[in-house]
Amino acid sequence: MTDIAAFDETQQRGLTKRKLWMSVLLHGLLIGGSFIMLYPLLWMLSASFRPEEEIFSSTSLIPSSISFDAYPRGWFGLQESFGTFFWNSFVISILCVIGNLMACSLAAYAFARLNFWGRNFWFAIMLGTLMLPYHVTLVPQYVLFLNLGWVGTFLPLVVPKYLAVDAFFIFLMVQFFRGIPRELTEAAMMDGCSAWRIYWKVMLPLSLPVLATAAIFTFIWTWDDFFGPLIYLTDMRDYTVQLGLRSFVDSTGLSDWSGLFAMSILSLVPVFFFFLFFQRLLIEGIATTGLKR
Amino acid sequence: MVSRVSRRTILAGGAAALSATAIGAPRLAFGQETRLRLMWWGSQPRAERTFEVTKLYMEQNPGVQIDGETVGWDDYWPRLATQVAGRNAPDIIQMDYRYIFEYARRDALAPLDEFVPDVLNLSGFDQAALDGGSVDGALYGISLGANSSAMMINKAAFDEVGIDIPDNSLTFDELQRIGMEITNAGKRRNFYGIADGSGLEPFFENYVRQRGKALYTEDGQLAFDAEDVREWFELWAAMREAKACVPPDVQALDKNQIETGMVSLGHAAVSYGHSNQLVGYQALNKDPIVMHAYPRIAAGVGGGHYRKPSMFFSISSQSQNPEAAAAYISFFVNDPKAAEILDVERGVPESSAVRESLAPKLDDTGRAAVEYIGGLGDLAGPLPPPPPLGAGEIDRMLLRVSQEVAFGQHTPQSGAEAFIAEAESILARG
Amino acid sequence: MTTIATSGPISAQSRGWLARAWTRNGAGYMFLLPWFIGFFGLTAGPALVSLYLSFTSFDLLTAPRWIGLDNYIRIATADPKFMASMRVTFFFVLVSVPLKLIFALAVAMALNRGIRGLPWYRAIFYLPSLLGASVAISVLWRQLFAGDGLVNSFLANFGIEGPSWISNPNYSIYTLIVLAVWQFGSPMIIFLAGLRQIPQDMYEAAELDGASKWRQFWKITLPLLTPVVFFNAVVQTIEAFKAFTPAFIISGGTGGPINSTLFYTLYLYQEAFGFFRMGYASALAWVLLVIIALFTAFSFLTARYWVHYDD
Repeated sequence: MTDIAAFDETQQRGLTKRKLWMSVLLHGLLIGGSFIMLYPLLWMLSASFRPEEEIFSSTSLIPSSISFDAYPRGWFGLQESFGTFFWNSFVISILCVIGNLMACSLAAYAFARLNFWGRNFWFAIMLGTLMLPYHVTLVPQYVLFLNLGWVGTFLPLVVPKYLAVDAFFIFLMVQFFRGIPRELTEAAMMDGCSAWRIYWKVMLPLSLPVLATAAIFTFIWTWDDFFGPLIYLTDMRDYTVQLGLRSFVDSTGLSDWSGLFAMSILSLVPVFFFFLFFQRLLIEGIATTGLKR
Repeated sequence: MVSRVSRRTILAGGAAALSATAIGAPRLAFGQETRLRLMWWGSQPRAERTFEVTKLYMEQNPGVQIDGETVGWDDYWPRLATQVAGRNAPDIIQMDYRYIFEYARRDALAPLDEFVPDVLNLSGFDQAALDGGSVDGALYGISLGANSSAMMINKAAFDEVGIDIPDNSLTFDELQRIGMEITNAGKRRNFYGIADGSGLEPFFENYVRQRGKALYTEDGQLAFDAEDVREWFELWAAMREAKACVPPDVQALDKNQIETGMVSLGHAAVSYGHSNQLVGYQALNKDPIVMHAYPRIAAGVGGGHYRKPSMFFSISSQSQNPEAAAAYISFFVNDPKAAEILDVERGVPESSAVRESLAPKLDDTGRAAVEYIGGLGDLAGPLPPPPPLGAGEIDRMLLRVSQEVAFGQHTPQSGAEAFIAEAESILARG
Repeated sequence: MTTIATSGPISAQSRGWLARAWTRNGAGYMFLLPWFIGFFGLTAGPALVSLYLSFTSFDLLTAPRWIGLDNYIRIATADPKFMASMRVTFFFVLVSVPLKLIFALAVAMALNRGIRGLPWYRAIFYLPSLLGASVAISVLWRQLFAGDGLVNSFLANFGIEGPSWISNPNYSIYTLIVLAVWQFGSPMIIFLAGLRQIPQDMYEAAELDGASKWRQFWKITLPLLTPVVFFNAVVQTIEAFKAFTPAFIISGGTGGPINSTLFYTLYLYQEAFGFFRMGYASALAWVLLVIIALFTAFSFLTARYWVHYDD
C-alpha cells in the first residue's frame, strides 16, 4: 500500500496544468457516468415512495406525494417477514462463496499448472458445461435432487458449488493462475514443495484479486438468482429475497408495486456493501505487494 | 412427496451446521396425519385469504395438514411443470382455463367425478360452471369463480370529452366513433381513444362467436376461416386509420399484463382484460375504472361473451390422498366462513348459496364484478368447445401476426392467410 | 510448455508402471477430484438425459417417445422461428459483446488508480449489474425508450423525433443491446483484477524510458492483459448466446414485437414450458451448444497468436 501512495504523491507533485484539466475532465465524465448508472436506483427509490397509481403512468422522478408506508408494509406484508428472507439469502450466498472459492481454485490450479493425462480433454469438457442452456437440464436435475431427498432444502443450491460445477469460475481462475510468474512456483518446487503446498502457499496468496472477484460474483449472482430457489424451495420459511420480491407481483391480478420497489431497494444494500468490502481486496493484489519480477 | 422427516435426517447428516440452523426450528408435526400440498399463483392479497381459509380448515379438521405454496403467474407454470415432470406435483393445483386442457389430456390431473357428491359438494353449481371444468366428459377442475372478458374504461377520460359510458347496445362502429372523439379532443398527452385489440385472442374469439362461429370445433380444428381473420384485421386497420385506437408502436408496449395495459400506461381510455382484474386495474389508476362488455358487430347481435371459470382447483393424478384433497376443495367453495374470507378475489363464486350469502357484504369493485357478469344478458352465449393442444401457441401467434399487419409487413388479406396456414400447422403438430 | 514433475524430484524408475503413472498424473486428478464428483454426479447425468430427450417427443407430463432425428430435421428444414431467433441472437452477440468489452476495459482503465473516491465510483459503475434483469428494469426501460420516453425528450432538444425504440420491431433489439452494454460491470471487475496483476515496476521502467501513456497501454497493459481479454471475450460470447432474462422481462416473454427480440433461449423456453415440447427444446439446446462450441474452439485456436501467458 505504501508503495503506491508514494507513487501517487510524486505523480501529483508533478501535475502540470494540462494534467489538472485532464483530471477535471475525468471526474466530470465519471460523475456524469455515475448519474446514468444511478438513475435506475433513484427511479426505484422514488417509485417506493410514490402512490401506486403513479408508478406506471408518470415519467417524472419526483413523486407527487411521499409516503414511507411501503417499507413496513413490504417488510411485514408476506407470511414471513423479509428478515427471514434476508437471512436465508445471506446463508445461501455465503455458503456458495466458500464452496466456489475452494472447489474452483483447486480445479483451476490443476488445469493451469499441473500436467496430467487428458488435461486438454477435461478442460474442453469443463468449458462445454458452460454452453448448455439450463432450461433443458432443469427437469432431469430436479429428478436427481428429488431422489437425493434434497428438494425443499438449501442443498440443491449450495452443494453443487462445493463440487465446482461453476465452470465460469474455474476458467476465470485458470486465466489468472497462468499469469502468475512461473519462476515463483518453480523455485518452490526446487525447494521440494508438494503441489498442495505450492497451491496453498504460493498460488492462493498471489491470487487475491481473482479470488476477490470470484467471491463478489458468487455472492451477487447467488443473491440475485431466483430460478434455482423458485424450483427447489417450497416452504415460504425457506424463501430467498428474490422469491420474496416476486411474491409481491402477479401480472394477472392485484400487485403491491411500491412494496416490491421498497424491498428491492433494501435487497441491494447487502450486495452493495459486500461489493464495497471485497473490492478492497482487488486493490491489494500482486501489483502492490511489492513483488518484483 | 418427500416427508419432512427424511429431509431433516439428511440435513442433519449431510449439511453444514450453519445451513441446518438457517432452515429454522424443527417443523415436525407428530402423530398420524394427512399432509396435502396446495399450490396457486397470485399475489399477496390472494395469499393472505388462501392461507386464512387453510388455517380455518385445519382447525376444523385436526389431522389434516395443508402446506401452501404460492408464486406469481409467470413463475408458476415452469415450477408446476417441473414438479409434475419430477413426479412431485402438489396435491391441489390451481389451474387456468387454458392449461387445464393441456394438463388433463396428459393425465396429470385426477378426474373428480367419483368424489361428487359425497366428498365434493357441488350442489350450488349450475351446469355451465361444471362444464367449464370438464375435459372430454370428465370433471377435472372445480371453478373458483366466474369471469368474463371485459373492456376496462377510464371513466374520467370519457367525462373530460363529455361522453357517457355507453350501455350494452354498443357496436364496433360506435366504439370507433367514441375512440376518434377522444383522440381528437386531445385532452391528454399521447392519448388515444381505445387500445388496439387485434392481437387479443379473447377479443377475436368474441368477434367470431358473434359471427356464429367459434375458435375451435369439438374435434379440435379451426372453426373460423381466413375470411373472418381478414375482416377482423380490416376492422382494426380502419380503427388505426381513423386514429380511434393507439398506433402499433404504442400498442406493442402492452404485454398482456395489467401494468402494461394501455389504460394503466395512460395511453388510451379503453383497454381489455378480464372481469376479475378490475381490482388490479383500479389499483394502478388514479381515475375511476369501469367495466363494459365487448362491442356488438351489429345492433342486436350478441352471444360473443361467455361465463368462463377464472381459475380452478384441480387434484394431481399423483396425489396419494385425492379424497382428502377433494374434501378441502369442497370446503373452499362451499363454506360460508371461507367464502367471506375469499370474497370475490378469484372471481364471482359459482355456488348460488355462497353468492347469496356474500351479496350484502361486497364492496364496490366486488359488486361491480358481480353485476357485470350478471348483466351480460344476450351478450353472453354458451361455453365454447374446449381448446385443443396447441391453442396456447396460436394465441401467441395471433399477437405476432396482428403486429405484422399493424406495422405494415402484411396486408389484412395476406396476414389472414398466413395466420390460417400457421394455425393449421400448429394444430397438426399438436 | 515445459513438463514439470508433480511431486518433487523423486526417482520413479524403480517403481511399476502404475506408480509412475500416479506420480505423473496423480496430483492433477486429486486437485480435480471435487470437479469430477460434481461433473459425473450432478452435471453429466442431466446433460445426457437432455441429449436423449432431444431424440424424443416429450411433453413433460407423459413419458418421452423416441422419434429419432425428427426434431433435428425439423430445426434444419421446417422451422422459421428457429431461423428468426438465430438471426436475432447472432446480431445481439456480434454487436453487444465487442461494445461491452470495449466499454468495460475503458472504464476499468479509468477506475484503476490515481483518483479520489475510487471504491465508490467502482461500486456505482457496478450498480447496473447488481440490478440484473428485474421487474424494475423492464418498467424503467419502457420509460426510457418508449415513444414519449426520456431518450426521445432528450433527442427532441436537437430537433430529432425518435421512434418508440422499445416497441418498434426495427429498433427493439437495440434497447436490449444497450441494456447488455450498460451492465458491463462483471467484465469491468475482471479487467480491474487483471490490471492489478500487472507488475507496477514495468510502468516505472517505461516511464524512465520516456514512453507515453498511450505507448504504455499498447506495449505493457494490453499484452499482459490478453489472458483476461481472452477470458472475457470467450465468456461474454457464451453468455450472450445464452442470454435469456433481458429479452424475457423486456418483451414480457413474447419475444416481440414480431419476433424482433426472440432470443434463441427465449424461443427454447417457450417451446419447453409454454408449449410443452421439452424434446424439441432439448434438440434446440444441443444445436446451440454445438454453435457455441464452434465459436469457442475457434477462439482457442486463434488465441495462440495473440494471448500471452507467462508460462
